[in-house]
Amino acid sequence: MDAAYNLARWLVRNEHDAQDVVQEAYLRALRFAGGFRGGDPRAWILAIVRNTAFTWLKRNRGSDAPTEFDEKLHGGSTEETGLEADAVRKADGAMIRAALDELTDEFREVIVMRDIEGLSYKEIADAADVPIGTVMSRLARARGKLARSLQERIGKDQITKEPA
Amino acid sequence: MTCDDARVLMHGHLDGELDLAADLEVQRHIEECPRCASEYAALRAMRTRLKEEAFRFEAPAALKEKIRRAIPAAPTPSRSNGYQSRRAAWAPRAARFVVPMAIGAMLALVIAPRAMAPALNQQLASEVLASHVRSLMATHLMDVASTDQHTVKPWFNGKLDFSPPVNDFVKDGFPLVGGRLDYIEGRPVAALVYQHGKHVINVFMWPTTGTATSAERIETEHGYNVEQMTVAGMNCWVVSDLNQLELDKFANLIRAKG
Repeated sequence: MDAAYNLARWLVRNEHDAQDVVQEAYLRALRFAGGFRGGDPRAWILAIVRNTAFTWLKRNRGSDAPTEFDEKLHGGSTEETGLEADAVRKADGAMIRAALDELTDEFREVIVMRDIEGLSYKEIADAADVPIGTVMSRLARARGKLARSLQERIGKDQITKEPA
Repeated sequence: MTCDDARVLMHGHLDGELDLAADLEVQRHIEECPRCASEYAALRAMRTRLKEEAFRFEAPAALKEKIRRAIPAAPTPSRSNGYQSRRAAWAPRAARFVVPMAIGAMLALVIAPRAMAPALNQQLASEVLASHVRSLMATHLMDVASTDQHTVKPWFNGKLDFSPPVNDFVKDGFPLVGGRLDYIEGRPVAALVYQHGKHVINVFMWPTTGTATSAERIETEHGYNVEQMTVAGMNCWVVSDLNQLELDKFANLIRAKG
């Protein structure tokens, strides 16, 4: 259940709403328990949490809801990010959190599933309902964006810390 | 391999998801290309940071409790009482949108099996079925994951005051995949997990206390089959979404070993 809550919490970015989403998702799961046909129960419940969260986001964001997710529009994974390992190690946790929060939902969710929850590509493919071949390219783009955003934040931070 | 290719594939490499040939190729490229090496090091550092506990939100205890209550662990004495008591257990905020759904779910799981098999020990049947569903939903299918009966059986030592019979039926197409502790009828019980194709079968066992019952069966509208029997002085409940015919076959295997 922690995995379900963690995903919901990162997707809707609010404790209160995440609880509602998880609760609703479990009730849906309960109703459709007959639809579970083997495989990984975690991926199955996460798929329901994810769908519930996206429905929730659509309903609550109203008109500024993002249009259909387009892989191509969010390209740029093959450009260098310029991020340095040392800088990441020293980066402030809040900075990483903010960079992650800023990502598109679809990018944020793959990073949460893979890097925070430790799901396999297969499990992510099942939960996010994408072909397994898409998982790596989406992760590459997502991590590229996160790295660039983090790099920018680290850069700004260093400027403000420099003595006048 | 070009840097463009490597910058995508290095993610698969980092996650250990590439096939051996591609994995080695990426590895070689990273060793030879300082720019990709630096990218890769940064990605690795980023992933290490993300694994920190601070980035993982834990479900609040109150939420877990609420959901546990929503999954019917025990049947309610009567339809109207059940409605009232469950309704009271929900926080009003949650009730706003989940109660109608919750009622539907509970009716389906609690009422339907009862209506369809009035002769069965209904309370236990509901409990066992709820445990089965919960085991599939709560990421808690197994405490001990092993296909070896000589690993699974001793694992229960010291955790239960009885030793359940554990057999592997892999030759018959029902491999043992593990076991866990569960809680039924107010006591800890052994739950053995078997698989048949993609179907998960839960077998719950605990010593009989009173009269032994012969095999009975109920079927819920969700397509779960529940079969009850007495094996080697144990109450034994078999639950799965497997069809009745195959579940019968499995139950007979258990009976034969008992």
